[in-house]
Amino acid sequence: MSSTLRQGRRRPATRVPPGLMIVGAVFALGFLAANAAIGYVVIDGRLDGQWYDIRDLGFAVQELKAQLDAINDDQPGFLDDIVGQHWMSYAVGALLGAIGILSFIGGALLVLIWVERRLIGRMQIRRGPNRVGPYGLLQPVADAVKLIQKEVLTPDGADRILFLLPPAIIFVPMMTAWGPVPWAPNMAYLDINVGVLYLIAVSSLTTLAVFLAGWSSNNHYALLGSMRTVAMMISYEIPLSIALLSVVLITGSMQLSEIVQWQADHNLWLIALLPIAMVTYFFSSTAELNRTPNDIAEAESEIVAGFHTEYSGMKFGLFYAVELGNALLVATLVATFFLGGWSLFGLEEWIPGYLILFAKLSAAYFVLVWLRGTLPRFRLDQLMRFAWQYLIPLSLFNLLIVAIEASLLARWDAPGLVTLGLFTVVNWGAAYILFRDWARRIGYQPDAGGPRRAELTQQVGGIEAAHRMGTAT
Amino acid sequence: MTTATEPYVLNIGPQHPSTHGVFRLRVVMDGERIQDMDMVVGYLHRSMEKLAEERTYTQNIPFTDRADYLAAMSGNLGYCLAVEMLSGVEVPERASYLRVIFAELQRIASHSMANGTFVNDAGAWQTPLMYMFRERERILDLFEMTGGARLTTNYMRIGGVAFDPPPEFFPAIESLVSDLPDRIDEYAELLIDNEILLARSRGVGTITAEDAINGSLSGPMLRGSGVPWDLRKAEPYCVYDRMDFDIPVGRNGDAYDRFLVRLEEVRQSTKIIRQALDGLPSGPHKTDIPLALRPDPGEAYGRVEGPRGELGFYVVSDGGSAPFRFHVRAPSLINLSLLREMAVGSSLPDAIVALGSVDIVVGEIDR
Amino acid sequence: MESLGIIVAFYLLSAIAVGGAIGVFLASDLIRALAFLVLSFVATAGLFLTLSGDFIAIAQILIYAGAIPVLIVFAVMLAPLAGRNNGNGLYLVPGLALGAAVAVTVAFVAVDVEWNELSGALLAERDFATTANAIGNALVGRYVLAFEIASVLLLAALIGAIVLVREDEAT
Repeated sequence: MSSTLRQGRRRPATRVPPGLMIVGAVFALGFLAANAAIGYVVIDGRLDGQWYDIRDLGFAVQELKAQLDAINDDQPGFLDDIVGQHWMSYAVGALLGAIGILSFIGGALLVLIWVERRLIGRMQIRRGPNRVGPYGLLQPVADAVKLIQKEVLTPDGADRILFLLPPAIIFVPMMTAWGPVPWAPNMAYLDINVGVLYLIAVSSLTTLAVFLAGWSSNNHYALLGSMRTVAMMISYEIPLSIALLSVVLITGSMQLSEIVQWQADHNLWLIALLPIAMVTYFFSSTAELNRTPNDIAEAESEIVAGFHTEYSGMKFGLFYAVELGNALLVATLVATFFLGGWSLFGLEEWIPGYLILFAKLSAAYFVLVWLRGTLPRFRLDQLMRFAWQYLIPLSLFNLLIVAIEASLLARWDAPGLVTLGLFTVVNWGAAYILFRDWARRIGYQPDAGGPRRAELTQQVGGIEAAHRMGTAT
Repeated sequence: MTTATEPYVLNIGPQHPSTHGVFRLRVVMDGERIQDMDMVVGYLHRSMEKLAEERTYTQNIPFTDRADYLAAMSGNLGYCLAVEMLSGVEVPERASYLRVIFAELQRIASHSMANGTFVNDAGAWQTPLMYMFRERERILDLFEMTGGARLTTNYMRIGGVAFDPPPEFFPAIESLVSDLPDRIDEYAELLIDNEILLARSRGVGTITAEDAINGSLSGPMLRGSGVPWDLRKAEPYCVYDRMDFDIPVGRNGDAYDRFLVRLEEVRQSTKIIRQALDGLPSGPHKTDIPLALRPDPGEAYGRVEGPRGELGFYVVSDGGSAPFRFHVRAPSLINLSLLREMAVGSSLPDAIVALGSVDIVVGEIDR
Repeated sequence: MESLGIIVAFYLLSAIAVGGAIGVFLASDLIRALAFLVLSFVATAGLFLTLSGDFIAIAQILIYAGAIPVLIVFAVMLAPLAGRNNGNGLYLVPGLALGAAVAVTVAFVAVDVEWNELSGALLAERDFATTANAIGNALVGRYVLAFEIASVLLLAALIGAIVLVREDEAT
């Protein structure tokens, strides 16, 4: 349209600094080499002469551990008397799992920052990062390099030791919470029988780090942000836990792999059976994650950046990475608990389970990005009221229904199609009625508060005209 | 049982995401509740009113761009009207139509920005703002096409406008005007029924009609409180008396109503532009005036309905080539004066939303 | 005989737990004391883990490392007397007396119990792989009355707290 007049110089594409290219190349090559090595070892059958395919990495790791055990049994090592049998296989398992989780989160963060920014860009009719590297793919690397280079400030009057700790502390729950996630059958790092409880416990540690960050900064914005976080977390952990409790009730296990196995066995994702729990969990998680619409702890327009206002450089980078990692974790847990995890109605026989889970967690993550790109923010008191007046009663109702259903399921010897089909219908009906009527009951009126269109008038005048029109308040 | 908490002072600004420039709020808070508030202005003071006394009447036009930099056209227009009143320069009819077109385009651009930043202040992560920027961008393209500048246009002249729009201007504005109603519906769909926005802005920053008048508010702030007052109708300038448009007024006087009023005013502006384009006569776009205009001694007050309210320019001549006194009635500053009443007793997020609904431009407040 | 790994872990965790506890009363800043407290709690959870008590370890982290600090934070924020200082020694003598009493009791129990009897037959019949199941069954089976009484007590405490902090609407 205006191109005839506006002849802006075409800017040359931003050059990627050579150092950055080397970092990116080393990272990518290392990642590829590691994966290729694992793939070679697995596929080629180097472990035990048997042929494994890439679908079952977890089984390969188990096999590796079994081989190590066998070696150990044949030739007892010099440490065996001191640190116990099979220490080697434990160590190898732990190392492999830790490397797996770390490289997955690292790689996923690098990709997902780019994906999120591109998606948000598209939602906001802009292009998103497209300068650094092909399609802007190296943008997260460039950001990380920039953050590392920046000075890490400690504000005057801050509690120096406590100010140092939170970025490190907050990283621990994010990393450890990935342990119990089952990526495929047999492919869970920490397949403990209290997995659900473990997740809740570990994620509750985040509160402390956030509070310490806000408190030690000696900044009112940071303190406000951390107090908001603490208040939110104690409120939203309740509906979140109750939602997970209903999952535990219906599947009869707190082990994440068992929960996924239950969904695979019954060919039923829990989103169908437990809609209220799903919505409650997802919403509560966004509240714990500080994501829009519940990002009041770092509400940019109000308290600048909340608890990490005073953090700069890579300390801020850690908070940022943890925030994204937690969002990714929540997406993964939603996929695991409610979307069937690695199962896909029998297709997991042919498709690797971890790819299925990744597809599902991407879908859940997309919803998170979508919410962020669309919605304004609640106010603190509104969010608290929403938790205590709406989500907690609803999830308690849901828990009651699910408890009855779970005990029926255990006693009633009917085909799964009948019982679970009936429960699904009942639960969706209950969800519809509860969501609507409970909102009405606590005083929500959809059309309250006056018209949603400005009144049009041809009159002009002051207060008299306003009274005449009846618009003066 | 009582819990004792101590009030503390929070400095919001001068660098803060929600102060829209270098404006500072000194807030006394108890927890999240605001007990008292001081507004500190002056960080962007450039002494425009004094500087204007040293420059000729024409040289002062760029100052009016830089006062309200989001509505440069309205500033130009108000000042030119004042000087024309003072000196008796006649304006050709085509120029008056063009002035209406550009003033209304500017209103659309400014209201888009205001609504976008308002929703941003309510916590949306830039998306509505970016959508609003889409139309603003096309309007700024039109400005660039015609006058060469996008933001500080310096387009109006004493006795007309600086340039006649080029031929490609008209298809571009036609397509913009035909697109706009759909686009406004799009925003309305995204935002008007948004429960979160309703929860955040309904009943927040409420000003009654009496308070609005007593506080000398104007523009969408006044109309949001239910008072149907619009200078374009009350005291028509240019050719507004030939245009058919409605005044949107709110019912509750809260932040949400101001948002609605602005959204509706964009619709009405589209209507005005359409009529002005249809009625645009041919002829000269400017009356020639002497290089150094020397009006007879006297004073004049020219006022227009700017996007933020009554934008008035008071110009006193002592017969010289520069004004003896130059004063701007800045609607942002006067609208802002009620922020304390809106915010005290509410919480910090509400105060931010109320501030966003005032739609301040610090360049205009400080001048 | 336990393997060395477990023993090393036990001493390490014990050292952290005790060190954290010492830090709690040596720290002059209340929030630093809180951080030490959490450290001590987490180390205790680790001790539970070395005893294969996974449920109790996680409950320890959930309640003591996750929830109790929040409670303390609110107490610090809302209590009028609590500044950033870790008290003024007002309760030094009663605190020392109480601590000494607890220490004597623990020492007495530790000396008095025949630990070897416990570690053999009694532990063997426990199924440690499913502690969560065992605790669940015990709670709603054998100890259901105590469980219900505790829940009623907690409910009463909850309601009592609400009644206490509710402002009189008449005034």
